[in-house]
Amino acid sequence: MIVPLEHILLLDGLLFFLGMGGLLAWRANLIMMLVCIEVMLNAVMLAFVGGSARWGSADGQLFAIFIMALTSAEVSLALAMVVYLHRRRKTVDTDQFSEMKG
Amino acid sequence: MKLYLAFILLLPLMGGIFNALLGRTLPRRVGEVVACGVIWSAFACAVLAFAGFNGPVRVEFGSWLAAFEFQAPIALYLDQLSLSLTLMITFVCGLIHLYSVGYMQDDPAHARYFALLNIFVFAMLVLVLAENLPLLYLGWEGVGFCSYALIGFWYTEEQNATAGRKAFITTRIGDTAFGIAIVWMYQLSGSVSITHLNTMGTLIPAAVVTTLGLLLLAGASGKSAQLPLSVWLPDAMAGPTPVSAQIHAATMVTAGVYLLARMFPLIGGSGTVRAAIALTGGITAFYAATCACCQRDLKRILAYSTISQIGYMVLGVGAGALTGAAFHLLTHAFFKALLFLGAGCAITALHHRQDIFRMGGLRAKLPAVYWPFLAGALCLAGFPLTGGFFSKDAILAGVAAQGGPLYGGLLLLGLITAFLTSFYTFRMVFVVFHGEQKNPLPPGGGGLGRGGSDNSAANILHPPPHPLPSREGEHLELPKIMTLALVPLALLGLCGGMLNLPSYLGHQGILDGFLGSIPGFGGGEKASQGGEIVLQIVAAILSLTGLGLAWFRYTGSRRAEALAREEAGLPGAGFLLNGWRLDNLYGALIINPFKYVARFFWKQGDEAGIDGALDGLARFIARLGGLPAGWCTGRVATSLFGLAGGVCVVLAYLVWVTLP
Amino acid sequence: MMADLHLLTVLVFFPLAGCLLMLPAWKCPAAARSLALGVMSGELLLALWLYASWQGLAALKPALPGYLLVEDAPWISAFGIRYTLGLDGLSLLMVMLTAFSFCIALAVSWRAVGEKVGLFLALLLAMETGIMGVFLALDLALFYLFWEVMLIPMFFLIGIWGHGRRIYSTVKFFLFTMFGSLLMLLAIIALHLLHARQSGVTTFGLFELIATPLPAGTQLWLFAAFFLAFAIKFPLFPLHTWLPDAHTDAPTAGSVILAGLLLKTGSYGLIRFGYPLFPQAAQTLTPLIYTLAIAGIIYASLVAFAQEDMKRLIAYSSIGHMGYVAIGIAAWEPVALSGSIIQMANHGVTTGALFAMVGMLDERAHTREIGAFGGLWGKIPLWSFFFLIFSMASVGLPGLNNFVGEFLVLAGTFTKAPLAAGLAFVGIVLTLVYMVRLVQEVVFQVERRPLPLADLDRREICVLAVLALLVVWMGVHPAPLLELIHGPVRLLTGGVP
Repeated sequence: MIVPLEHILLLDGLLFFLGMGGLLAWRANLIMMLVCIEVMLNAVMLAFVGGSARWGSADGQLFAIFIMALTSAEVSLALAMVVYLHRRRKTVDTDQFSEMKG
Repeated sequence: MKLYLAFILLLPLMGGIFNALLGRTLPRRVGEVVACGVIWSAFACAVLAFAGFNGPVRVEFGSWLAAFEFQAPIALYLDQLSLSLTLMITFVCGLIHLYSVGYMQDDPAHARYFALLNIFVFAMLVLVLAENLPLLYLGWEGVGFCSYALIGFWYTEEQNATAGRKAFITTRIGDTAFGIAIVWMYQLSGSVSITHLNTMGTLIPAAVVTTLGLLLLAGASGKSAQLPLSVWLPDAMAGPTPVSAQIHAATMVTAGVYLLARMFPLIGGSGTVRAAIALTGGITAFYAATCACCQRDLKRILAYSTISQIGYMVLGVGAGALTGAAFHLLTHAFFKALLFLGAGCAITALHHRQDIFRMGGLRAKLPAVYWPFLAGALCLAGFPLTGGFFSKDAILAGVAAQGGPLYGGLLLLGLITAFLTSFYTFRMVFVVFHGEQKNPLPPGGGGLGRGGSDNSAANILHPPPHPLPSREGEHLELPKIMTLALVPLALLGLCGGMLNLPSYLGHQGILDGFLGSIPGFGGGEKASQGGEIVLQIVAAILSLTGLGLAWFRYTGSRRAEALAREEAGLPGAGFLLNGWRLDNLYGALIINPFKYVARFFWKQGDEAGIDGALDGLARFIARLGGLPAGWCTGRVATSLFGLAGGVCVVLAYLVWVTLP
Repeated sequence: MMADLHLLTVLVFFPLAGCLLMLPAWKCPAAARSLALGVMSGELLLALWLYASWQGLAALKPALPGYLLVEDAPWISAFGIRYTLGLDGLSLLMVMLTAFSFCIALAVSWRAVGEKVGLFLALLLAMETGIMGVFLALDLALFYLFWEVMLIPMFFLIGIWGHGRRIYSTVKFFLFTMFGSLLMLLAIIALHLLHARQSGVTTFGLFELIATPLPAGTQLWLFAAFFLAFAIKFPLFPLHTWLPDAHTDAPTAGSVILAGLLLKTGSYGLIRFGYPLFPQAAQTLTPLIYTLAIAGIIYASLVAFAQEDMKRLIAYSSIGHMGYVAIGIAAWEPVALSGSIIQMANHGVTTGALFAMVGMLDERAHTREIGAFGGLWGKIPLWSFFFLIFSMASVGLPGLNNFVGEFLVLAGTFTKAPLAAGLAFVGIVLTLVYMVRLVQEVVFQVERRPLPLADLDRREICVLAVLALLVVWMGVHPAPLLELIHGPVRLLTGGVP
């Protein structure tokens, strides 16, 4: 069965806005924010794969693998930093941090 | 000849370097022997060069400035003029070096002193021997530097250091004009060789020659302390007395005369230049003579008399009497060095006191100084049959021979100056050596400048930094070598006339014959023999009158009264004492505005103007950046909502674009 | 044969290799210093060896006329950027000056820099690569790369090891130079595109671009951009205000390199790129350059006179001296240009020496205020002796080095622009005025504040003696150097090789 591209894109948009909504709503917990970012990234990945299938080109799949590798690195680094932050500040609520104020 | 010339130059240089680098570590005697030895060896080489001299030679040692068509090699030119000056310089400087051994015997900084003195001789010899103008400029600036360092030799006194600085800067102003003249001549002829340039006189437009001549005159005025750049020489007396004798009397200050005489074939073609030179010389001679009449510092009297005598030489050059000018240059070197050295003896004997009103009666106490000093004074005053008499007369005869109202007026001025010269010379002799010493100073040298009422009166005392045994009323024992060095100079000064006796005696003068073959020197109208005799008689009478007037005023019973009156300050004396207040004039016109402008440029131009504008710009940009910086709360939420908003905007745009 | 050795690449990248080698020696100052000394003296030896054999190299007739050594390889072919290095007499003189100045800078900071020694030396070495590259690059893109590379280490040098308002000064320095060089980058790209449009060849090569025919207006704008970059480096009045601040607040080594080399990159760029690329535009702007240079000489000399900080005074004197270089370049005449080039080297030596000496005094007294000193001749005679020599060289006393350059500049310029040369002569008097004031107040008179001063130690005497010998040698016998630059100058001013 061949899923039309429009359906995939619809699912993409849904996933992406779910992730974004979660990101905006769940600011009290950094870990949940990371999860939401993952969801957004997966949406993008899905779009790549869908495109790849639609046009029969390997580029999209390549990007998908690339994003996977990138994500794993990013998540491991980010989790380490979250742990570090938690140890220092006893919280993972992002609204408590404003050191970057310009 | 090449070897002799190399030695003449290199020996003093090596001596100077030796003393500069090693003099501090070696015993004093070694430094002294080396310093004197190199100068006398250079003199010996000069004598050998004289013996082997048969016509001008050009010797090249190597390249110096060589870029495309600009070629200024290290090349020397030995002709009759430079040879006679070389002989004079090495001889007189040799004597002054010997004298310095005695004079500086207590000074701990002897190595620096002798190093500079030797390097000065080197630079002076380069000046007179150089074949091209940049090399001459090297010597010219070299002597200026040595003069600067030696005037400020006792540098701990601010006024000494300031006097050195003043000399350096004032002469540098003249040097600038000289430098412009050099590059201009290069532009005109593509060459800087003196011999080559001197053949160019006819090829260069007259107006350009005139300008060049005036530039060279300005250069010479700086070095030779002619108006309007004369102000540095009286202050330069702050240096040790042998330095004054060597640099500021015998050699360096006559460099301007040498330059003008050297370049005369080029610049003499312009009547305007000749007139300007003669006018400068004549007026300076008169100016300095008037100032000398009122000075009370022994060395300042001699300084003004030096300015005045160089004025005569410059006048001689302007009148085309180059041989006369060179003749006076030589005799003046002898008798003025003698006077300075004699004055140095007197000053040393009086514990470095220079105020003549505090002197007196030295004739009996220092006969070995008195008689040579008197000989020098006779020469300076142009006493008949002395060297100074003949040489000064040769110049005046040259002026007289030119004729016309300008030169007539200058002749008159020259004769008045001769009278003034005789007067102030014997005023000095009688006040210092005759009569009785008046109220000795309290210890410590205070109480000076009571009568002088002006700033320069404060300059009268120049104590060296090292303590002197100050036993009041007692004279220091002078080292024998100091008085011995006076004798040959006295003999040369008195008999200097033999160098160039007037032609009416039946023979051509020695110098006339020797120098006559140099381009430019043969020229100049000759006065008729009868006219010359008349002139000499007039000059002799004026000289004797001046002597008589001084005798009348400063000896016997009228001495005390005259001195008291002068000390109280004669009307107008302050004006003359301060050299017609030229220093104040320059201070108001140049120095103070200079300082003000310098500060203004720094504070208002650089700091407030350019930097202020740029800093203002930087602040403005920073504030501009501060506006959007307010959106950066540093909270993640702000960024996130911003991101979401951005995405929505982009999406909305895309929708709007894709919708039909 | 010698071209195969890639000597120029070695010359440029040997210091960078030393910079990387510094990593293991990071923690050990002594080892880091020895390493830096080894690299820098190796570089100096290489430069001297090239100098010793330049006549042999000239006889070999390399690829480019007038050049001694050329290296050329494709680099970024998409844009036609090549790795082109070329050494001619002018570059060789600058290369020697660079290698020498870095040795001096290292020697004067041997003990003065005590913290982060490894980083300091690594930055010095990186900067040496940048400056060598600037003096050797013949491809405009490569030149621009090196031009920026040399800036960054200097930024940190002033910012980390400086004194006083060091952050302000270093940012100011960086902004000034960046502003100019970005405009220059635009001009380089524009020139590249114009050339590509006309000839269809994409290249950044200097000699290809020289041949580009340009309309007068375009040429003027492009030259103006180049000129601005170089004039800021020079620095010409009124773009000079970064210099006194940067000099005053830089560490001694930084001042030595700023005065000795960074300013020279401006004049070198004008000679190598500015004038040859845009001859007509340069001709048009010559009166402006004269005016700025002379205004700079007189203005800077006056301002120098009013200074109270020794380093600032010497910084302003730099502006004055570089004014002579600018005049000589503006005249674009063989004698004047030779004088300018010689003056670049002379100024590097003399002013570098003066900065080094002030640095030594600062190390002892912890002040540079003129009013704090006095009578130093009696206290530290050796220091005073050297200081007198270098200040006399700075005022252009004949027989010492600066005179050679200044006099040739003035002699050459007078044939083109008598008024400019005449006014520049006035500057010589002003130079004397402020320099003699400095000497008098510091070396002569009496001590004004009791300061614990020790005379020079053996290392300092060695450094200063070398500099002093160089000052005298270049003043008495400049002929070999003049001969070295004779060929390049003739080519630049339109002569045949």
